Amino acid sequence: MLTHRITLTIVLVFAGFAPAVELLPANKPIETVIDLAIQARLQADGVQPAPQADDATLIRRLTLDLVGRIPTLVETDDYVGSSDPNKRAKLVDRLMASPGFVRFQAEQLDVMLNSTVAGDDRRQGSVRNYLRTALADGKTWDQIFRDLMLPNEDDPKTKSAVNFLKARARDTDRLTNDVSVAFFGVNVSCAQCHDHPLVADWKQDHFYGMKSFLDRTYEAGNFLAERGAGLVKFKPTRGPERSAQMMFLTGTIVDSPTVRELTKDEQKREKELIEKAKQDKKAPPAPPFSARAQLVELALKPKESQFFARSIVNRLWYRLLGYGLVMPLDQMHSENPASHPALLDWLARDFRDHGYNLRQTIRGIVLSQTYSRSSIDPREIPPAASYFAVGRLKPLTPMQLAASLRIATRDPAGFAGMKPDERERQIESLVSGAAGFAAYFEEPGDDFQIGVAEALFFSNSDRIAQEFLNNHGGTLLGRLKTVTDPREAVTLLVRTVYGRLPNADEMKGLTDYLARRTDRTPEAYKQILWALLTASEFRFTY
Amino acid sequence: MRAKSFCGSVDHAISRRGFLGATVAAGASAFADMTGLDQLGSSALASQMKKNQKRVILLWLAGGASQLETFDPKPGVQTGGPFRAIPTSVPGVHISELMPQMAKRMHKTCIIRGLNTKIGDHLNGAQLMLRGRRNEAGLKYPDIGAVVAREMARLESQVPDHVTFYTQTEGRYYALGDAGFFGARFAPMELTTENRPGNIRRRDGITALDHQQRADLRVLLSQQFAKGRSSSTLGSHNEAYERVRGIMASETLFDVTQEPQKVRDRYGPTQFAEQTLIARRLVEAGVPFVRIGRAWWDCHGQNFETHQEMVPELDHVMATLIDDLHERGLQDDVMVVTLSEFGRTPRINASLGRDHFASAWSMSMTGGGIKGGAVWGKTDPLGNTVSDQEVNAGTLFATLYAALGINPHKNYYVGSRPVPLVDEGIEEIDDLIA
Repeated sequence: MLTHRITLTIVLVFAGFAPAVELLPANKPIETVIDLAIQARLQADGVQPAPQADDATLIRRLTLDLVGRIPTLVETDDYVGSSDPNKRAKLVDRLMASPGFVRFQAEQLDVMLNSTVAGDDRRQGSVRNYLRTALADGKTWDQIFRDLMLPNEDDPKTKSAVNFLKARARDTDRLTNDVSVAFFGVNVSCAQCHDHPLVADWKQDHFYGMKSFLDRTYEAGNFLAERGAGLVKFKPTRGPERSAQMMFLTGTIVDSPTVRELTKDEQKREKELIEKAKQDKKAPPAPPFSARAQLVELALKPKESQFFARSIVNRLWYRLLGYGLVMPLDQMHSENPASHPALLDWLARDFRDHGYNLRQTIRGIVLSQTYSRSSIDPREIPPAASYFAVGRLKPLTPMQLAASLRIATRDPAGFAGMKPDERERQIESLVSGAAGFAAYFEEPGDDFQIGVAEALFFSNSDRIAQEFLNNHGGTLLGRLKTVTDPREAVTLLVRTVYGRLPNADEMKGLTDYLARRTDRTPEAYKQILWALLTASEFRFTY
Repeated sequence: MRAKSFCGSVDHAISRRGFLGATVAAGASAFADMTGLDQLGSSALASQMKKNQKRVILLWLAGGASQLETFDPKPGVQTGGPFRAIPTSVPGVHISELMPQMAKRMHKTCIIRGLNTKIGDHLNGAQLMLRGRRNEAGLKYPDIGAVVAREMARLESQVPDHVTFYTQTEGRYYALGDAGFFGARFAPMELTTENRPGNIRRRDGITALDHQQRADLRVLLSQQFAKGRSSSTLGSHNEAYERVRGIMASETLFDVTQEPQKVRDRYGPTQFAEQTLIARRLVEAGVPFVRIGRAWWDCHGQNFETHQEMVPELDHVMATLIDDLHERGLQDDVMVVTLSEFGRTPRINASLGRDHFASAWSMSMTGGGIKGGAVWGKTDPLGNTVSDQEVNAGTLFATLYAALGINPHKNYYVGSRPVPLVDEGIEEIDDLIA
């Protein structure tokens, strides 16, 4: 009875989720809807957006966001020089069709699934291989969700998906929170000990309701297993101990006779199963009724799927725009509305209606004018981030940084002389070799602060000097051996690393430096390259 | 801050740049070497005005030192072990005979004998005793080093904020320094192989002039980029490079040979002694937090031999450090803490060892705002339970922070979520604060 009353309250609270205004028609292009919604709020509040970024900035931003590296000089030159009115869409489609897209998106999803607000990245990489295969096979987000939550260890293609659950099976509180954060944008951990103090949506019943779907999951030997029954009890802040029901975040309850404590016999049987799994090196049989499967089915039902769809849409938006429609990303609840509620609802509906297709939403966002605004804003007081009026600086991820260092320090003529396919292969091979190097850097979170260890590493480590500041064949510094004119050298350096011409101040500062260093010109080139690689322009997507 | 304030209207759009700009201007007169900072924007750190500059040296007794062979001896009972208890400079207070030098200085030190921290495995115990609480699902807390670094580091600091030594390999993984949700800015400079930090020295392949000039070129380029752009992350990037020269100059702080031979002799020749002397050099130069990991106290066998060897070294180094700080007038500014992940069982096992024990154990704090001569907590005659003035990890950390002048009830924000420095409902022990 009590639980049902709570359910009713929840339904009322979640009415706040329903769009307050009519959504725009479903058949409009995503980018159009985004720009209309963002523009409407800017206009209503009299906020002036920044102008569109120039072409060189835009191709850098798109290449970093879609394939996780800076563009080569020849890619930038081709794009900037093209007069094709559809060049942006063509670029986006080319990047999204390239192997780099699958590689980088798998990496980003892996980080998203395995990081928390606190940046706990110890589990990162565990499902990356699975995600690569899944994305390469064109799997949609709901399919990936199914594979991760209901892994089939017998299928070689999805086998490694099991690592998501396995890494958490020993701590089902953690599992409950991680699943809620990663797939539904809801951090229920506050409700573990007490009803959430600020958020009416989140009662202890929610935490333990979600836990009831996941608490039967356990590790048997080296395999993932699930019990056929189970009961989660919890002590409320007031009153006697309560038994939890299988309750989703929306308040919907799954009734099942399996919500009960295990009998003595069943407990004994479980121990035997674990022993048998160890002996046979084979997973115990799945239970006839899987609570975890119930969660997956329920979360994807039309009336329940708003959490699932809104969370991933908000996360994609955050990743591409540098700020979420709802912030923080794991606080998607009625007390913390989106900056543009109708837009988020439209995007979530569109995402669902198109079969949870990540590509479609990503493509729509990066084709919007909102995405391509300049990050320069001369105003003394910039508008709040939630207006999306100005492009936001995004610190490079470790892989973006490592990959970009490798590309920026190669001889640009080498890339220019290759056919597109060959170039793509060459780039992928450079990037895949950068993974170890990426481990030196920290995955950025909100309000990320770069520490002095990174600056010391760039300043004094052998690794930076040997790997990026050598003048062997095929490198940028190698190419510079043949350049004697200081202006030409500075231009080549700045264009290769930043994809743009040096401005007057830079040209003067850098050629003055070269003029003072005529005794050791090759050394001087090396120092300029170091300065370009460590200056802020290289460290950010802007 | 309620989540509701995220309505994003113009009224709420307080300019980060404007705010920081004002702070920087106000601080400029106090600090001489802030050149270039305002052109490059400032990190989140700039908003903090540092009031007092207390510092901490944490002697981390990794593996779990025995309270019975240090601060809470139980001679004469069956599980008391072979060592006697000796009187100290505080009437009525006895400690193990293995610590004669500290016994003479007990009036300067505070010991807590009533620790009941409940967690008896190395990893979770160490995580708890370096943070004052357990990481929760979805939130990694900063450890004490990161907290002190953040609270005490000076904006213009030319030295590292947070240094950890842990040279032995045993148990190192359990007690890694961790800035948690504070992020890399407050992560420790970790010294594990030698007493000099990595990447602190200019490579042989580059001249001092080139090293300096390329840093100037970097500033030139970064200034171009910063025009019309502001972000706290951008500020931290430039600030990190601004600090490189100062940190490199601080290399000599890690060089123990810079100390007079007399001082080195006084501390002694062991690695632990040398690292403690380096720690003293560091805090004297303004480093807010230094932790020295001394491993491995985990005596499941041969407890008494091991303690007979390790406790006198601890006693000597700790006493020397306390004397040295007093002679330099630093006793009120620097707190010396000894702490483990847990203590050891009164029960002596078949290998003459003592096992993990978190129910009734001890730690010490000296100086830096802690009352000297105080003893808090009592254990039963065998040392199995705390009989009076029980202290959990949270209370210990609240007390420690309060003594350092850090409000233990202050909030940090993870997104919009307020996270108090110590868990709600936990209070510091006022009686231990000077």
